[in-house]
Amino acid sequence: MENSIKIHQGAVVCTECDLKGDITIGKNTVVHPKAQIIAEAGPIIIGENNLIEEQAAIVNKFPASQESTGNATVMIIGNNNVFEVDCHSEALKIGDQNVLESKCLVGRKVELTNGCIVGAHCRLVSEECLPENTVIYGDNCSRRQQADRPPPQTLQIDFLTKVLPNYHHLYKPNLKD
Amino acid sequence: MELENVYYNKGDFVETASGNKVCRHTVLCGSQNIILHGKAIVQQDAIIRGDLANVRSGRYCIISRGVVLRPPFKKFSKGVAFFPLQIGDHVFFGEGSVVNAAVIGNYVYIGKNCIIGRRCVLKDCCYIADNTVLAPETTVPAFAHVAGSPGAAVAELPECTPDLMTEFTKSFYQHFVPHALC
Repeated sequence: MENSIKIHQGAVVCTECDLKGDITIGKNTVVHPKAQIIAEAGPIIIGENNLIEEQAAIVNKFPASQESTGNATVMIIGNNNVFEVDCHSEALKIGDQNVLESKCLVGRKVELTNGCIVGAHCRLVSEECLPENTVIYGDNCSRRQQADRPPPQTLQIDFLTKVLPNYHHLYKPNLKD
Repeated sequence: MELENVYYNKGDFVETASGNKVCRHTVLCGSQNIILHGKAIVQQDAIIRGDLANVRSGRYCIISRGVVLRPPFKKFSKGVAFFPLQIGDHVFFGEGSVVNAAVIGNYVYIGKNCIIGRRCVLKDCCYIADNTVLAPETTVPAFAHVAGSPGAAVAELPECTPDLMTEFTKSFYQHFVPHALC
């Protein structure tokens, strides 16, 4: 499989992370070392101001039933999302301002709209579209609706864009806006 | 009870003068900001994020496979800052735990696949059961046994916990030995 990685100006992508396939990373997105983005079954397009922490996995792979014969499906991730340490996401469509907390698992058939939070250790593998501002939390993956969206992490992203280049080798941005 | 020997390949680990055993297959970012005070074991695939802020750990600190230690961040009215992560002596981290704490006391046991939220404070001698999720900014009192998601105290630990943890971490260190050369 050929790697084609397109990085917009202003994104910080460490070379120690695992990128495979056709990936587009938007402006001001930060990808920590040891994150995994694997575009096996089609391209992955990541929007602006996303934060992808270490060991987070964003995977676009063929479902077990159809082995590498299906048509390419595009995975689209919006803006201002946070993927925390060790989360695993196969969702094909993620909107804006979502938070995937540590060690959560989001299946391929789930669609996240905007402002959703998937709590730590929660598993979400059914076929559904989460309404806006849904919060999934706790031992039993309980749900509720929240009034506001989680705040965007722009300040943290600004900080990391300053600090990470001092310690890590980065991929060179190869796309102008 | 005597622990069984755990063997490792000599080539995979680096042993420092102060007795730290650090696996070569780990990610130590910003290693100039990471201080291991001696006799610490850092096993495969552990990630320590010294690039965000300082990480200090005490003696006999055991960091199992796939543990992520990352200093917590806090938002202020002007900008954000990452706080240093302080870890006491005789602390055990189970496999796959994610630690975002600010301070961890002495003799703390953290089980497997735990998530210690941002800026938690773990006092001395507490026990975090496997798969616990501690919400951000939680303070765990001394001698508490915490479990569940979100973590809640379920029991208290006996007064001899410091001795038990000292014994446990020391014997883990002593039984963590290289394969005998054949």
